[in-house]
This record gives sequence, C-alpha cells and structure tokens, in this order.
Amino acid sequence: MDRVGVYLCTGCGIGSSLKVEGLEKLATSSGAALVVRDAQLCSEKGTAAIRKAVDDGTVNGVVVAGCSMRHKRQEFQLDASKAQVERVSLREQCTWSHPPNHEDTQLLAEDLLRMGIVKAKKMTPAKRVEEAIEQTVLVVGGGLTGLTAAQAAADLGHRVVLVEKDAVLGGYLAQVKEVVPQAPPYDRLHPSPIPELVKAVKANGAIQCLVSSTVAKISGKPGKFAVEVEGPGGVKHELMAGAVIQATGARPYDANKLPHLGYGTPNVITATELEVMLTKGELTRPSDGKAPGRIVFVQCAGSRDAAHLEYCSSECCSTSLKQVMAIHQSWPKVECAVFYKDLRAPGQAEHFYRAVQEKTGVMLARGAVESVSQAGTKLTVTVTNSLLGERLAVEADLVVLATGMVPTAADGEAIRQLRDAKKRVERNESETQRKAAEAIVTSLAQHEGTEILNLAYRQGPDLPALAYGFPDSHYICFPYETRRTGIYAAGVVRAPMDASQATEDAWGAAMKATQAIKSFGRGETVHPRSGDYALAEFFLQRCTQCKRCTEECPFGTLDEDVKGTPLYNDNRCRRCGICMGACPERLISFADYSVDAVASMVKEIEVPDELDEKPRILALLCENDAYPALDDAAMQRASWNSWVRVIPVRCLGAVNVVWINEALTRGIDGVILIGCKSGNDYQCHFIKGSELAQKRLSNMQETLTRLSLEADRLKVVELARNEMGRIPAVLDEFAKELEDLGPSPLKGF
Amino acid sequence: MGTEMTSTVTITPSRAFREELTRRGGESIGRCFQCATCSSVCDLSTASSIFPRRQMLWAQWGLSDRLLNDPAIWLCHECTDCSTRCPRDARPSDMLKGARSMAIEAFGAPGFMARLVGNAATTWPILLGVPVAFWAVLVQLTVGFQVAAGPLAYNRHIPNGLIDSVFVPAVLFALVAAVSGARKAWAAWGVGAQREGTLLSGLVGVAGDVLAHRRFTGCKVAHTRRFSHSLLLWGFVAAFATTTSVATAEYVFGAEIPLAQVHPIKLLGNLSAVLLSFGLAGLWLKRMGSRELAGRSKAFDSFFLVLVVLLVASGIGAELARYALPGQLALSVYVFHLGMVLSFFLTFPFSKFAHALYRTLAMAHERLTLSRRPQ
Repeated sequence: MDRVGVYLCTGCGIGSSLKVEGLEKLATSSGAALVVRDAQLCSEKGTAAIRKAVDDGTVNGVVVAGCSMRHKRQEFQLDASKAQVERVSLREQCTWSHPPNHEDTQLLAEDLLRMGIVKAKKMTPAKRVEEAIEQTVLVVGGGLTGLTAAQAAADLGHRVVLVEKDAVLGGYLAQVKEVVPQAPPYDRLHPSPIPELVKAVKANGAIQCLVSSTVAKISGKPGKFAVEVEGPGGVKHELMAGAVIQATGARPYDANKLPHLGYGTPNVITATELEVMLTKGELTRPSDGKAPGRIVFVQCAGSRDAAHLEYCSSECCSTSLKQVMAIHQSWPKVECAVFYKDLRAPGQAEHFYRAVQEKTGVMLARGAVESVSQAGTKLTVTVTNSLLGERLAVEADLVVLATGMVPTAADGEAIRQLRDAKKRVERNESETQRKAAEAIVTSLAQHEGTEILNLAYRQGPDLPALAYGFPDSHYICFPYETRRTGIYAAGVVRAPMDASQATEDAWGAAMKATQAIKSFGRGETVHPRSGDYALAEFFLQRCTQCKRCTEECPFGTLDEDVKGTPLYNDNRCRRCGICMGACPERLISFADYSVDAVASMVKEIEVPDELDEKPRILALLCENDAYPALDDAAMQRASWNSWVRVIPVRCLGAVNVVWINEALTRGIDGVILIGCKSGNDYQCHFIKGSELAQKRLSNMQETLTRLSLEADRLKVVELARNEMGRIPAVLDEFAKELEDLGPSPLKGF
Repeated sequence: MGTEMTSTVTITPSRAFREELTRRGGESIGRCFQCATCSSVCDLSTASSIFPRRQMLWAQWGLSDRLLNDPAIWLCHECTDCSTRCPRDARPSDMLKGARSMAIEAFGAPGFMARLVGNAATTWPILLGVPVAFWAVLVQLTVGFQVAAGPLAYNRHIPNGLIDSVFVPAVLFALVAAVSGARKAWAAWGVGAQREGTLLSGLVGVAGDVLAHRRFTGCKVAHTRRFSHSLLLWGFVAAFATTTSVATAEYVFGAEIPLAQVHPIKLLGNLSAVLLSFGLAGLWLKRMGSRELAGRSKAFDSFFLVLVVLLVASGIGAELARYALPGQLALSVYVFHLGMVLSFFLTFPFSKFAHALYRTLAMAHERLTLSRRPQ
C-alpha cells in the first residue's frame, strides 16, 4: 500500500504512558502519508475519520496503533480490496505490560510502530473471488447419521444426494429392534428410529437417494465438487456438490482376533450377533438351540487393549445394558452378568444404567475377563482384577463379547503412500529402491481397495486418518472438521459414539456443510480464518518443483501438474500460510501477509549496540493460542521482559526460516517461537503447523552453527490457550538464558 | 488390585439369593457401583477389610456363604451412616439388616423353626396365634375360664405346675436352640480366623460395651437410637430378673403370690414394663419419623417388634385387668399374655431377638481376633 495512514489511539492509558509526539514524529519519518492522534479511536468519530480517509483516497493502508488486533475487530474492519489494516498493539504489548514512561517501553512502542507501518506498506489490495456455488450436499452413507444429516441439510434448504452402498437404507441400526433410550425418562427401551427416518427421507423431495451405489470420484474443490457415483451394474452418474458429509459409519471389531475370549466356540457370540437374535425374538444357545440359563457379557472385548483397539468405543456399555434390559423383559428367567473394566454410560445413558441396576437377575461387576473356556455345554468365564482381589470363575451358557467399533474411514494418506510405492516398484529404477518400495507395499497392503470418497487429491483419495484411524481433524475445538475443507465426517466414522450422539453429530456436520457453502459463495474461507478471502498467490516462474508445499499443506489444497508444479484449489485453502513457510523460494504470498512483509518487519527492529546492554528478542507468536494468551496476560497486567518484540504469525507452520535468519544475522540475540501443542493431542489449529515448525527448526540449528551462534538462541515452545499465566515466564526465562549466553556476536555486522 | 490370589473363586450369581435378600431389605443393592463412600464413613472399615463395600459385592454376586458367615455383619449396629451418605441410594445398612436375618435363619436349629420365623411375612398368624390358641385350649381343658368373684389372682386359678409344665420345656428348647445356633456361628466365624483366648474371656471383655451400648456412640446420623435401644435392653434385663426373682421368692422363700404392689420384686417388674414401653415407643417414633434413619422395616423385624409390643402390652394389661375387668375377661387377657410369652420363648433364637446373641458373640469374636486386625 503506497499511502499509509497512521492512527494513534491515546485511550486506555496509552497516551499517559508513552511519548505520543515521539511516535507521531516516527510515523512521519517512516513515510506515513497521514498521522492522526485520537483519544478514543474506536469511537464512531474515530472510525468515521478512518473510513473517510479511505473513501476519499487519502490513504489505502491503515495502521491502527492502539489495542490488540483481537479487540475492536468490527470497528477497524475495512474493505480489504480497497484498504488494508494493520493493528499495532500499543495497549497490550506496551502500556498494560511495561512500566509507563520508561525508555525501554518507548523503544518497544517505536519498534512496534515501525513494524506496523512497514507491514502496511508491503500489503496489497485483496481480490474477492465470488462465483456461483453448488448448493447440493452430498451425503455418503445411509445409516442413522447419513439419514439424519440428509434430512438436516434438506431442512437447511439444500438439495441432498445420499449415496448408500447397500441396497437398503438404515445402516447398522436397521437390523436392531430397540435402542438405548433417547428421550426422558431414559429408563426404558426405545424402538429403533430407523424405519421412521427412512420413511421421512424417502418422502423428502429435496433428497435423492442412490442405493447400491458408491462414490467413484470426487474432483475439484469445495463449493464445486464434481462427483461421479457408480450405481448398480456399473452405471455412472455425474453430479455437482458444494460440500460432502461422510457418514460411512463403523464396523464391529473382528471377534476372530479374540480366541482367548472363546470366540470360535459356538456359544460365544458378539453383541452384533446377539442383536440379530433379539430382533428375531429367539434367544438360544447356538450349540443346541436351547434357551440359556445364564448369559455373561464381556465388556471391552478387544477394546482399551494395547493388542487390539486401544480406545473406548463409548457405546458398547450402553448397548450391553440395552441388551440386558431386552432379555430381562422378554426372558425374565435368564440371568445376565456383565463384567466391565469401567462401566461407561455417557450422557443420559446413566439413567438407563440405573434402571438396569434395579433388575434382579442382573449382575454388573467390575473385572477384566481373562479367558472364556468351554467344557461340555458350559462355558467358564475367568475374571481377574475384580474388586474382591481374587480370580473369579463364572459359569455361563452363552457369552456375549461387546466388541468395539472400527471406523470405515479409509486412510487417504496411507493409500497415497501405497500407490506411490507401487509406482516405484513398477519403475524399478534400482534394486535398493525397488526393495524399499516393496516393503512399503507389503506394510500398507491392508489399505488396498479401501477407498471410499475417491478424492482426486494429490495427497490421497480419502480423508487423512488421525488417532486410531478416525478422520476427525480437531476434536477439541472443531468437531466434524476434517483435513479436507468442505468435507465433514459425522457419526461413528468420526469418533466412537452412541445413536443419540450420532444424531447430534449429523446435525453438526450438516450445519458445517451449509456454513461452508455460504462462505465459498462469498469467496471466503472457513474457520479458523473464517471471512478471510485473500487467496494464496504463487509466483510460479521461480518454482523449483520441490513439492514441499504440496506435501505439507494440511488440507490437501495443492495438486500437482506432471512436472510437480503446484496447482492451487482456492476453496480448499484455509489461508494458514504453511505453504508460505515451507517454500524455500519464497514465492507464495497473500495480499495481506507475505514472507517479505514479515522479513521487513524484522528489519525494522532497532538492534542497539552491544555497549547499550539492550538485547533484542524476536518472539513469533501463533495468533491462535499464544498471542491471545499473551493478550490475556497483559489484561491481567502481567509484565515481561521489554527486550521482546512480538510478531504474530498465522501458524508456527507459516514461519519461514528466512525470518529467523534475518533476525539472527541482524544481531538480534535470540528468536523464540511459541505455538500450539503438537503430538497426539495436538491443539494446532492447522493440525500440522507446530509439528512442521519443530522439524524445520531442527534443520535450522545447522544454520546457527554456520553463523557461529549457539543453538540455544533459537527456541520453540508449545503452549495452550489457557496458559496466560505461563507465557510471561516463558519470555522472561528465555531472556535470562540469552543474558547468560551474552550478546549476539553478530551485532554491528 | 494389588494381590491376586492364585485360587479361583467360582461365583454363582444366584437369582434366588438376590430375591430373598431383596425381600429382607436388600432391594437396592444393584445400585451399588462400588465407590466405597459407605466404607469411608464406617467405623468398622479397616485398610484390610473394606466394610461394607465388600459385603455389598458379596451380596451382588451371590456369594451368600461369605456374606452370611461374616462376623462383621453383626458388628454393624445399623447406624445408617452408610445409607444416608450413599450417592446411589444403595442402602448398605438395609442389605446388612437383611443379611443378618438370613444368617439367623441359616444358623438356627431346628431348621423348620428357623424357616418358620424367617418367613414371618406369611407365617406370623401361626407364630402368634398357635401359642395363644394352645394356652386357651389348655386352660379350657384343665381349669376352665369360670372364675370366682372378687379380685382375680392368676396363680390361684392357673396353678404353677401347669405354667411350668409348658414354660420349662419351652425355655429349655429355646436355650438348646440358641446354644446350637451360637455354636454354628462360632464355628463358621472361626474358619481362617485366629482367636486368642476363650469364649468366656471374650464375652467378659465385651460385656461392658454391650450393657452400656458403647458401640452406638459411633453412630453419627442415628445417634439418638442409643437411648431407646438401651431402655429396651435394660427392660429385658429387668423382666428377666423379675421372673427369676419371683420364682426364687415363691419356690425358695415361699412368698405369697401375687406379691403386694409395693413389694420390691413387683416394683422391679413394673419398672421393666416402663423401660420396655418407653424403649419401644422411642424406637417406634424414630421409625415413623424418618425412613432414612430407620431403614426399611421388613416383616422379619416387624414381627419381633409387634411380638414385643403385644407381650409388654398384654403383661401390663393383665396386671391392670385384675382390678379393672370382670374376672373372665381378665383371665382372657392373662391367657393371651401367656400365649405371647410362649411365642416369645419359642421364637427368640430365630427372630430378630437373636441379634442380641449373635452380635454379642461377634463382638467377643472380634475382641479375640482384634490383635490381628490392623487399626
């Protein structure tokens, strides 16, 4: 932006703790076209003045030096296609967190202002790309979740195409007669909701059901997915969809893997097999067709077990309780004993649990079932870890294994790896390479032919799997989200859950889908940068086809041409900037955010001479968690070392190592990166950002050594959003460590 | 669980046992999810013996032998601290009450009597009616109901010989039954326990605690029960002393019966009636006042309570009837009283009264094994 206006707010104590004249002079000397001081810039008068200056063309870049960018967003929001805004946090970063009218506080404010001005200068107007968007929602899977999602999306005004691979709708619950209660008083069995739901969906004119069909291909981008459905007899059917809901469900864990629990002997059955009996109204011992006297239910059969499923499927306990209740009602003489590790009846199922507890002939006991063995027609269930502290043996006529659920989701990334490895085997370029590829093919063989969505995405044909093979992307903050924009997983394919949770999930996913379609229609992305319409721009002339961007994008935004040049799919992009951080050629940028803009900000940090004893620290803070946490610390009037200069970044993954290089070569004493947690329970809003930053920075250590700098001058810290109490200490600690190291040897070069 | 024993316990989650326990107060045991709140508020719980959580588990799992042969169920004085604190309203104290009644039946001999009293819910007309009818028929067949005019002296109408010919065998039967039950219990509790000292030394050791009802002082929510229950205990002691004294006075010293109203023995008898009446009234009021504190009354308990009320009421009634009612009616009241006394003697080793026997024994057992229980 060539005409930058600097608006200095002196409210909230800023004016009384900083020398505002100094800042005004600095703004002018930094090339501001206009410098305005206001006692309350967020007032109607203040904001009107900004809008007027933009409208009459006086300025096209606005620096608001006042509160943090996290406050007064609406007041300072401008049409980014006409003028870009840069917020300089004088209030949180200086006034509220540093001693007033102190030399160091003033220096800090000056640095921040210079950084803001240069960033505003480096921004360009954003272009809003608006286009006609498909209003159709594609629902894959016709079980409880799929049917509910279809109905929900139709209720929200969308046309829905529902694809079901079976010939009939209803999914797993279609074979179930009664379900765990879903309405007060939660103490009795409810009829399965499926028949009513199927009837309603079939009668809904906005929903088209394609049974005996699978998705052959989904290409393009959210808002404009081109979908190919393969119907009975291989007939192809083409349609367009704006968003996709994957509700393909789960399947029971394979009980054949549980021989120690007696599976394989006739009178040991799974909960699913019992369900079939209950629906038929025949409760018999398979070995001789006689009625069982005592049934033992084995909970966590292959669940919460390192050798099988490590997780809790969350509904098996409720389902077993339901089966016990059904047996108690129809065959009151049959005794039921349930052995559990922990009886987990989530949500309202607790009431149902209580109702089952009241029944005589029902025994609910804690204990780990060690083995089930057969002697004659009787089975003996051996239980350890009981509360009696003794090994228990219980005789049973029938044993029911409550097996957990395994998501149907295909692991898109694994399939991609498998395909790549196969290609390498075919190419057979060298013996070693072929052997390595063959090993991969063997290890990933179970993914062969598991495709569900068949996405034409560079990163693989299905959603990437997260923990335990479930494709959820951010279960803590953003349920239903996956790592493929516009595609939402719901129901048991997303996470283990019971029917009432799945119903809720279906609604959640439908609402996400409608939100996405509306956002794409405005050319905007969806969370966490909802409303952002500045697209990533690629200066491809310089591209070396290193494929880092296409590999590292967490959302599979980029496809590749044959040479490996990235092909951008705008609506898939979440504007996180991870590609920008990855690109060694620095050719990816946004109108309001670029490698050059941040590098220029780093250059604006004044690095005092070694003799001044004023070290400088660059802190790159993730604006999702770390930056808000620091804002909160300031709001609580915590203070931290005034050598620190904070630059917010979209994600730690968006940090280009050039910035760190720039800072260190300029004599800045240390660089600290603070971002969200990585690992299994990651909190990174862009999934892989923190992880990628860790990886890239470990490579960076080499650079430090080359610059003959200590590795400790670069630090990465992960921190949660609620750790506002910790973040000032983290900064102070780093300052202390740098003080111990002494000033950077590169000062003054 | 830290130590897993190598032995395997076969459990039979018996519906019959659970149903029986349900009838006797344990209807809420299914609600127990083993949080051990009960044990954390119970004075009887120790690090090595989690009481009554473990007993709840035995009850739920149908380990009836362990539950009924556990002396700890007798140490419980039903203060109901556990039940009022239980987050699931599983009412451990009610279960223990039921378990005690089942243990009384299990230890009781002869078995048919134990079962008869154990099923008081249906057999109460027999238990109360047969002794009354027996006495009525006996009196009719021997001395008849025709009485001379003037104040009635019961012992002149019904000779002592007739009375003794019934009550001496009845008392002997009761004593033999009680001793037999006590021996069974003592043997059952002794399995796996190391007792140091004789039964007598144990009984002597706990006598003070029993007579002073010291164990009741630990009760937090039902602490007022100590007073009423003490009155009842001392009422029975006084009644027993009265009967013994009267017999001694008559047979040894040749005293003339009925004794004068101011005679010390007569006063002792009246005192026992007063103590029993107030004790009963206190317990009854408590029972009426709060189900929470009193626990659920089952037929087994009610039968004993009703018997004692009728016994005391007919005793006082017979004393007053001599002066207030025509002779024939007064005699009927007396005969009814004799029926109640007979019923009491024949049933006490099998009724709730037996708790006095088993609880005292259990306290002695505990005292003899205490050195081995970590505090």
